[in-house]
Amino acid sequence: MMLLKIAWRNIWRSKTRSAVVIFAVASGLVGGLFASAWMNGMAKQRVANTFSLETAHIQLHHPEFADNFDVKHTITLTDKKLQEILKVEGVQAVTSRLKIQAMAATANKNMGVTIVGVNPETEIEVFGLYKKIDSANGDFFTSKKKNAIVISKALAKELKVKLKSKIILTFQDYNGEITGAAFKVIGMFKTDNSPWDKMHVFVRDNDLRKVVEIPDGQSHEIDILLNDYEQAGVISADLQNRYPELLSEDWSMIQPYLSFITEYMDIYMGVFMIIILAALGFGIVNTMLMVILERTKELGMLMGIGMNKKRIFFMIMLETIFLALVGALVGEIISMFLIEYYGKVGINISSLAEGMESVGYSAISYPMLEPYRYLQITILVILTGILASIYPAFKALKLNPADAIRTL
Amino acid sequence: MSVIKIKNITKTFTETEVPVHAVNGIDLTFEKGEFAAIVGPSGSGKTTLLNMIGGLEKPTSGSVEVHGKDISELSSSKLIDFRLHNIGFVFQAYNLIPVLTAKENVEFIMQLQNWDKTKMKERTITILESVGLGNRVNSKPNQLSGGQQQRVAVARALASKPQFILADEPTANLDSKSTTQLLDIMEKLNKEEKITFIFSTHDQRVVDKARRVIKIDDGKVVSDVVKKVESGSF
Repeated sequence: MMLLKIAWRNIWRSKTRSAVVIFAVASGLVGGLFASAWMNGMAKQRVANTFSLETAHIQLHHPEFADNFDVKHTITLTDKKLQEILKVEGVQAVTSRLKIQAMAATANKNMGVTIVGVNPETEIEVFGLYKKIDSANGDFFTSKKKNAIVISKALAKELKVKLKSKIILTFQDYNGEITGAAFKVIGMFKTDNSPWDKMHVFVRDNDLRKVVEIPDGQSHEIDILLNDYEQAGVISADLQNRYPELLSEDWSMIQPYLSFITEYMDIYMGVFMIIILAALGFGIVNTMLMVILERTKELGMLMGIGMNKKRIFFMIMLETIFLALVGALVGEIISMFLIEYYGKVGINISSLAEGMESVGYSAISYPMLEPYRYLQITILVILTGILASIYPAFKALKLNPADAIRTL
Repeated sequence: MSVIKIKNITKTFTETEVPVHAVNGIDLTFEKGEFAAIVGPSGSGKTTLLNMIGGLEKPTSGSVEVHGKDISELSSSKLIDFRLHNIGFVFQAYNLIPVLTAKENVEFIMQLQNWDKTKMKERTITILESVGLGNRVNSKPNQLSGGQQQRVAVARALASKPQFILADEPTANLDSKSTTQLLDIMEKLNKEEKITFIFSTHDQRVVDKARRVIKIDDGKVVSDVVKKVESGSF
């Protein structure tokens, strides 16, 4: 107890010097934590957007569908399966889709696209694309008009079309014949992933089914939204057992990139913080060496009157840890406020929007850091304090009490 | 009963270009309850002798026995432990722990010795009162005068009831009044607590108070005088 008291009071003996160290640790942590939170927020948004717009959490396909998007590789008895899957614990919503490779043509241009045939009622329970259409740009199949199509603003720009314009879609039907139909643009969306935007168009599944001549009850894809995306692996494996004739894939299998982002973020933040703390650690070592030099006489006296080496070592270690911890606490509090604030208002780097969206990231990002990260950082700071104290403490232990007491 | 037995000790410092023979074969014995002063000019070897008695420095040859145990053979960590349990130190520059109050400074050694909390608190107050600082227990060293700081140092040295106290020029930085006060207190505690005091000093006032005066020069004892004990004194 007395050692704790001495160590704590010792760090306030030279207020300016301690303040400099505390400021250095705090600013290092603010920089590190905020940058980590920013990157983390961007990655989390990217993952959330992908779930919400592209993959959901689990997808079921005909096992060969992904090989060449063959129209005939369908899932049969789709409605029955949707009902069954909805009853699986952890499943929040399900929908089915038709997916066909096609050419989209206007008077100006032809482009290769994927037509996604959706059931709007269930689609909006699983996917959030409808939220990406603002009121000035139509809607997501709210009217019952036939042969309606929702495309992205980016594709509209390429094809030079606007709302109510017609687009001709040409594709291979169920019997292998080339066929096509005209669709009227009723909505235009914009996500943060411009390449994806340009490659996907959305129509009602019933409209598509008629033209492609896909039998009733068949679809190409079942998309499943879960209550907790981390359960995807388990539930996907369960579905694979239930439907051995299909291929069940969770989001990490559909988009390995997402899994990479999630894991990479952990590594990135870890390495980033370790580099910052290592730099701070050297600063702390330097400060503690000065402390030892200044207090040579006092340390000699302490050894002289009977304070053993273990206690001397522990006292210096405690001082170092306290110094680092105070800085960490200040840094973490400031970081919390900054991350909380920018997590609400967002950081807008619209000047880089085009570049960011070309790789699927939003121009407005919302920094976020999970609470356990602060605990991790605190533990890392304590470890830094312990490591930074070792060399100065050994220096102190090498002192000869008689010589040390004689120093001025 | 002899507390300390010094047998033909020498100390040569070899770190300098020319070896310095600080202590050249000293034999001394100190009995329990002595109040002894080691005097001599600067560089005569007083502090080195005191440091060897206290186990702060190891003799080049010879031995220092405390209660029959040769401390010059102990490892540095055992010596620290030995000092903690057997010796009280009073230094010329007081050397209190600046971040602790007078009370905490005195308690410090007892805490290192794992004293019972209640006994430790009682002992602290008793000893601080006996050095006349009962009203300054919560003052930090920088709030005390030099004399008061040295009295706290004496209280700290005495608190854990060591076998003997080594005081290296304890009055060197004190004014006349503080010196008298300090010497009176140490003499009183020497009698009350029956603890052996050994000083190294230049100060004639300390020499006058001491009941035994050992004069050394060039690292050798040149005289060792035990004063006549007055009737009624220890």
